[in-house]
Amino acid sequence: MRNCADPFQAIADPSRREILMLLTKDRQSINMLAGNFEMSRPAVSKHVKVLYEAGLILIKDQGRERYCELNASGFDDIKNWLIFFDQFWKQKLQNLEKLLNTNAENDKTAK
Amino acid sequence: MTRDIVIKWHFPHPPKKVWECLTDPEKISQWLMKNDFKPVVGHQFNFHTKPIPQMGFDGIVYCEVLELVPNKKLVYTWKGGPRPGVIGLDTILTWTLSPDGDGTRMVLEHSGFNGWKNFVASIFMEKGWKKIGKRFGVLLNEMK
Repeated sequence: MRNCADPFQAIADPSRREILMLLTKDRQSINMLAGNFEMSRPAVSKHVKVLYEAGLILIKDQGRERYCELNASGFDDIKNWLIFFDQFWKQKLQNLEKLLNTNAENDKTAK
Repeated sequence: MTRDIVIKWHFPHPPKKVWECLTDPEKISQWLMKNDFKPVVGHQFNFHTKPIPQMGFDGIVYCEVLELVPNKKLVYTWKGGPRPGVIGLDTILTWTLSPDGDGTRMVLEHSGFNGWKNFVASIFMEKGWKKIGKRFGVLLNEMK
């Protein structure tokens, strides 16, 4: 499902990247996450909300705790751009090479 | 600045010829996209192509020439988004040419993804890349 918040904006913030890095090891409750930061629990909770809205993490209630985990499919937008441009440029440079070859041929013929 | 995408290429043609294809708007449109490029630092121009809604891209790339050294180096911004005024992609393109035998060595750097590539790769190295690759093939065809 595509969420409304922009994943690029979501990971532009260093604290939120840090949260994601912590979640790469294992799922964690918001309280556990907050233990890694100087900022208050509500502040961490706010960052978690942004990540959730961007579709980068999932939140599951378990007892009295809310557990966060990474949502792999949420990263597709970002990956898509990078993979996209890598392929895009390779394809365009092939076009450029063809064009240069054609121009050189035409130059020869003109002489 | 993180260098996110670096592509090296060799052309069996002199730098001057390659440079023409990078800086003549008519030639650029023949291999890249329709544009109103001018080889002037500070010139703002656009590329036009098909929109890719599923990637939040309306088909217009917003650019500004940042640096220009004839036959050697060209740098411009490369920005895009879902609609005018909203930028989701804020990156920089650097083209570097150097003589290489009878030809030209070109290095294209597409940077400014703020380290996302390494960051995301470190998380998802083993997950889902193949699937994305396939979907990407479909997108590329749409760009043609």
